Amino acid sequence: MQIRYPKEQMHRIRYTKLTEQQILDKLAAVGGTGPTSASPLEDLSEHAGGRPVKIVTDGGLVLEYRFNGKNRLSVAENGGAAVDAGYGALMLGDVGLLAHLLPGTQRGYAVVADTNTRLATVFELWFNGYDDKREVQRQIHYGYLERPGQEPPQARHTLTNRLEGKGFYWKQDTGAETLELFHTAEYSNFVELTRLGGELGFCGPSDYVRIDDDRYVYSRVECEFSGTMTLYVLDVNRAKQIGMRLGFDADDALEYYLFNGTGEMVGQIARFEKFGDYGTTIPQTRPLPNTKGARPVYRPLKTNPIMSKDEVEAAIAKSTTVFAERNAMAGNKLPVSELLVGKELTLRYDDGGPAVSYEFDDAHKLRWRREGEGSWHEERYEAWESAPGVVMFGHLLSGAPRHDSFAVVVDFDNALTSCVNGTLGTPYMANEASRKTWFGVVETAGLTPPKYLRHRFTYDLVGHALTWEYSPGLTSMHVYTTPYSFSWVIFLESGAGGLAWSGPAQYVKIRDGLYLFNWLEEACNGTLGTLLINTKTMHDCGVGYHCGTDGLRLSSIGAIARNAGRFDLMRFYGPKAAV
Amino acid sequence: MSTKPVSTRRSFFWKAGAALSAPLAFAASGAKASAVRSEVGPDSTVRLALLEDVDAIRRLNQAYARHVISGDHEALAALFVDRAASQAALFVDLAGDFEAGSELRSVSSEHFGEHDVIDVAPDGKSATARIHCAVELEAPIEPRCPLVDMAREQGGGVVRRSGRGVLENEYAKLDGGWKIRRCLYRSV
Repeated sequence: MQIRYPKEQMHRIRYTKLTEQQILDKLAAVGGTGPTSASPLEDLSEHAGGRPVKIVTDGGLVLEYRFNGKNRLSVAENGGAAVDAGYGALMLGDVGLLAHLLPGTQRGYAVVADTNTRLATVFELWFNGYDDKREVQRQIHYGYLERPGQEPPQARHTLTNRLEGKGFYWKQDTGAETLELFHTAEYSNFVELTRLGGELGFCGPSDYVRIDDDRYVYSRVECEFSGTMTLYVLDVNRAKQIGMRLGFDADDALEYYLFNGTGEMVGQIARFEKFGDYGTTIPQTRPLPNTKGARPVYRPLKTNPIMSKDEVEAAIAKSTTVFAERNAMAGNKLPVSELLVGKELTLRYDDGGPAVSYEFDDAHKLRWRREGEGSWHEERYEAWESAPGVVMFGHLLSGAPRHDSFAVVVDFDNALTSCVNGTLGTPYMANEASRKTWFGVVETAGLTPPKYLRHRFTYDLVGHALTWEYSPGLTSMHVYTTPYSFSWVIFLESGAGGLAWSGPAQYVKIRDGLYLFNWLEEACNGTLGTLLINTKTMHDCGVGYHCGTDGLRLSSIGAIARNAGRFDLMRFYGPKAAV
Repeated sequence: MSTKPVSTRRSFFWKAGAALSAPLAFAASGAKASAVRSEVGPDSTVRLALLEDVDAIRRLNQAYARHVISGDHEALAALFVDRAASQAALFVDLAGDFEAGSELRSVSSEHFGEHDVIDVAPDGKSATARIHCAVELEAPIEPRCPLVDMAREQGGGVVRRSGRGVLENEYAKLDGGWKIRRCLYRSV
């Protein structure tokens, strides 16, 4: 069977805004039957021995269950009338996962219970709780299994940061394979290896609940995408999982099934909370709304409105800024290099790329022209010498119809060059950047360029995580997740990883320890960032290219890195034989 | 009546108030009669009035600190003589080299208030105070950029710094109650 690459990746799919009635109609089919499963389900009536099972939670929610066979139950919420429903359950050792909906509603539960400790965590689930009604909402309730004549246990499952930094490969009994990187305390980065071909990684708000030292509950919702929830119990020692998936796919078909899976831990990266902080609470710098299920969710298109072509042109006409003095992304930038001053170069790119001649008049003014062009164009530029003999510089191409930018690396030692050509406008958004990457040679007096050797795309950085300190108060972490994408993390004040997002990326090897990296913040703010990352000095330099309502900005970037560790991921990528 | 202002020392700050378990408690109690300078005179009525004024100002400062920490700007504004001016100044004027847009995020007592002074004017209608304190200031990272915007989504995108200094406050008594006329923080 051919590898399943989607026509559009998740961030490009225009998921249907399902109505409440559409959701009710779709759920009606499974409310009485429960979730499906590729593996045999547990018969909780046998586990319960015909007795009711009562779950008491600290917030007041009480669920009383009676089970009838492998897929029928009745449930009474808070002492109310019992409701019949279909269910499914799986066990992972002593820990059970029970999932069911409440027929005729858009609500349901996923219950994780440890039959040994009697501790239970209830995920109350519902649709129609946000503007995008298909997005699954959840509220976590911590409690226990009540047993007549026995004292309630004092302990509880808790939120945790003990999973933060860990990454897993999973293969479910459905055949679905994923990489799931728990790179923040409240988000995760996942790669759908089989559903989407494993090209890009995506991020979703996530919960991490500790059962004990081995076992945890993880859940995420694919907010801003399909809204689907994936929830599972995982055993980190045994690399096993039992889980549930609930939501509507790109064709609006209901996915509601249980799964089990096996996998392996693919590595651990650092986490940055203070010692003694175990993440049982995640202090929010911005208080969450006092609403059920409130959680931090990054919704990029809420804060970065999509602009029309006319709006883009008007914004650029009003304000175009090139290397502004004040720039939070460049608080730790490298000194502006004067290495190019007085030089005359022609950068000749392969495979249809241009040949561009330059004359550098001073440290901020250059002139350029394409081969065959008579007149010169003057631009403001900045250059930085990242490693001996290697200079990166950037500039706009004033007057270009798509407002082009160049981010160029010149490797004088090898007479090689690479260029990332940014342009504005994609079929999706007029204010979104796209890019071409060219490789070529440097022609100038005294240099003889190689005929075949070039800078080249590389996978060297894939799996690595680096933190980047741009300026006081502004630090992020990059996780180079796939050969074609990466994820970035914003830290909370506590040092815990907070919000995260992802975008397409490219990696070019300039030489050992020196990488030209670019990314696109697609379906987000539209930025193209291009960095020259020096993993020896742990310092980068580069340019950001961004158009918003405040105009077009070409700006310098400079940050200091820390090595946050590495996931072993590369072996999961690349073209594969169809099975 | 004496023409000299009346001062108190010690115990302006500090009481382990439940609402201020973290860094600061402005003390409402702890004022001692002995804290009033002896030159005030023997008139116990005057002394009592002064002590009541000092105590009221302490409680005002206590409320100020509590509302700064909680971020309750509405309640803070109500403590000032000029509500609009107080909000425009973000409830404190900063004397010194601070990042543009810096706001006070917390204020806490220094030295158990030992060096703090409240001076009540002889006519009992105005007062000043010097309050030794530690502060935390927060300034938005500017100019905005996509990463800063994302950080702001979770309450970040700011530069925080802490410092020690003196609050130099001015007060006015209006309708029988004390209000803050001006609150100025000066680094030391």
